[in-house]
Amino acid sequence: MADKTGIMTPVRQFFSRVPRWVYVLVALGMAVSVPLFEQAGVIETLWLRVGIRSLVYVMLAMGLNVVMGETGLLNLGYVAFFAVGSYTTAILSSPRLGHHYDFWVLIVLSTVFAMAAGLLVGLPTLRLRGDYLAIVTLAFGEITRITFNNWESVTNGPGGIPQIFRPQIFGMNIDKPSEFYYLVLIFVVIVAILLTNLKASRIGRAWNALREDEIAAEHAGIHGTSLKLLSVVISAGVAGLAGCLFAYYQQFINPTYFEFLQSVLVVCMVVLGGMGSIPGVMLGAVLLDGLPEVIRQAFSKWLPEALGAETMNRLPQAVQTFFLEFDRYRMLIVGIVIVVMVIFRPEGLLPDKLWRREVHEEDPREMEKTRQKLFDFDEGHRDLEA
Amino acid sequence: MQSTRIRRILAVLLAVAMLAAMSSLVGCGSSDDSESSDGGEAKTETIKIGIHTSLTGGLADYGFAAQKGIELAQSELDGFEVGNTTYKIELSLKDDKGEPAESPVVAQQLIDEGVVAVIGCLTSGSTNAAQPIYEQAGIPMISGSATRADLVPRTNFFRTCVGDNIQGKALADWCVELGFMKVAIMDDRGDYAVGLADVIEENLTAAGVEVSRESGQEGDTDFSAQVANIQNFGPDAVIFTGYHREAGLLFKQCREAGMTGVQFMGGDGIKSDEIVEEAGGAANVDGTLATIGGIPQDKMAGWDAFKTAFVADAGKDPGPYAETNHDALVAIVDAIKMGESADPADIIENLKKVEVMGVIGTFGFDENGEFKAMGDSAGLATIVRYKLEGGAWVAQ
Repeated sequence: MADKTGIMTPVRQFFSRVPRWVYVLVALGMAVSVPLFEQAGVIETLWLRVGIRSLVYVMLAMGLNVVMGETGLLNLGYVAFFAVGSYTTAILSSPRLGHHYDFWVLIVLSTVFAMAAGLLVGLPTLRLRGDYLAIVTLAFGEITRITFNNWESVTNGPGGIPQIFRPQIFGMNIDKPSEFYYLVLIFVVIVAILLTNLKASRIGRAWNALREDEIAAEHAGIHGTSLKLLSVVISAGVAGLAGCLFAYYQQFINPTYFEFLQSVLVVCMVVLGGMGSIPGVMLGAVLLDGLPEVIRQAFSKWLPEALGAETMNRLPQAVQTFFLEFDRYRMLIVGIVIVVMVIFRPEGLLPDKLWRREVHEEDPREMEKTRQKLFDFDEGHRDLEA
Repeated sequence: MQSTRIRRILAVLLAVAMLAAMSSLVGCGSSDDSESSDGGEAKTETIKIGIHTSLTGGLADYGFAAQKGIELAQSELDGFEVGNTTYKIELSLKDDKGEPAESPVVAQQLIDEGVVAVIGCLTSGSTNAAQPIYEQAGIPMISGSATRADLVPRTNFFRTCVGDNIQGKALADWCVELGFMKVAIMDDRGDYAVGLADVIEENLTAAGVEVSRESGQEGDTDFSAQVANIQNFGPDAVIFTGYHREAGLLFKQCREAGMTGVQFMGGDGIKSDEIVEEAGGAANVDGTLATIGGIPQDKMAGWDAFKTAFVADAGKDPGPYAETNHDALVAIVDAIKMGESADPADIIENLKKVEVMGVIGTFGFDENGEFKAMGDSAGLATIVRYKLEGGAWVAQ
């Protein structure tokens, strides 16, 4: 471990003093400008598609963060709610059963159905804790997928539902990748604002209290079960909304989208980004979803281009094919990155303050920080000086 | 106060710097260097063909076979001439892991690279997810292995393999020929098996045959519940549309339950020599009937030469669908030759008209984009019937 009072301290201090809204603006500016860069021909359309999928995962990660990060309930079947949202949209807006409902109707229906599913799972299971809850949610996730796989008259079984209609919003046909990108981005921003406010509200603090110590929290007058249920339902609703947008974008839905591994992927995004931290899980989602694509492009395109054709030709044939066919190895690198991150930064990339301290509980320096922060000793002091 | 303002300015500067860095990082733009000057003199043009397949994941061996098959076709056709233009073929190989969620991104990548045609996707699921994107970009796609019935007709999709709709109908026709009145159809809940079973059921019902549907899961070992249902139904034939492992177990358990006079049937998934062992001996499955889509390999025009070349290149026998992927590239090249144009829209138009001489024989595409045997191969059945006799499959 490097010395914490070393050369990085001024840099860290600088970054911690930049007000938060600046970061938010920078992130938003970057997100908004992606399609503009694409229009200008600076980046390829590919990055828009990667962006759209990443934004869907951002929404999922934010939703899962509500139960996992804020309330501390491990949900291993989260993708089930995503599936409910996706299938609601796919069934009600495709030639399959001849329905063609309006975009806004389906946004609401997908969210509401997913919330109902959340209520359905939440009611009987929330008296369970820890590992048991994880097992039950895992089972629920699989049951949902298998149901969609077998309910052939409605979902067309494993064949899936193709040719989902494009959404129409205020008479505008959402068709191009850039239009989809902005559509999903708008919803991501709305959800982020709502969840940030919720986190800071009484409800959010009650969730955190339940996560830290359920018995103490109930003694302080927090109704545990109903608040936990609320958190499950809200997070399910976010997943349903994401599912609706995803189905519209993808235009094709089949049960393989909703396998157990997808739930695990979203859990990884939340854990790697930083449990309980909304900017953290957003970053985690973008990284985990975008990284494979960046690696693929880096090795099979940017690197050869940077080296130039001549240098590439001078390399042995085996090395050349290795670069050009790097496709095969990209998931390997993603795996290594995950392992390294978990070892060296267990609290996540942009950790929530409380979580960070929990992870480093045994570290005396962190304990000191916690003590100081809890009693606002340090900050109060500095305020007086200023 | 002063310091806060400076910090804010610094932060904004930082933001601008990050944006600039990002754009320069991501922006190693693509350059299009195909020469398009119209002149009388000889010229060389490079066309890029995308391979949208699965190199990782559960279907990696199919992807490998496809890749090698297409690369063989490239080495045969590279530098073909149309009029006074020499075309060089450049392949761009992309992996979608066999996951439809990955498919649109891969499709976009190939479109960004400026491909004029795409060979793929490997699976029907991936094809369903990628086809609208290629369609929007006006790029033709030819798959050598996506057989689902609901993939046709689309405006830009063709296939060199025989679709499930054709094979399903062939199985149903065979049942009718044999005079069966009650048929039990069982699938493994997989994409392929359910699609095929649906087509069979549709055709049998239309022919007035009574049908009952059962299903197990791929990987199951005990089918006693389904066997009991089938026994209650009392069919003349049991059709299993999944793969040979489950088929062997199912047929064995049917025999053990006392169904002796029942005819066992299946699609190409069960036509494997291993079924004998999996069913616990030839006695349990003797007389089983199976169909396979496509011209049989021993009747394919260029099979022997293709096999030799494939083994020399890849070091092993051609995997499944290697030849159909090979011929997909041949078809694209023929369409370019026919229209004397490598414009994607022209390729789509001409693919509907070409008569291709490939490894699998002479073929073209019908108005739906479906494989159609033509010329010398027109007389050959595109569905081959097999019967299991004494532990070996014999073509009928």
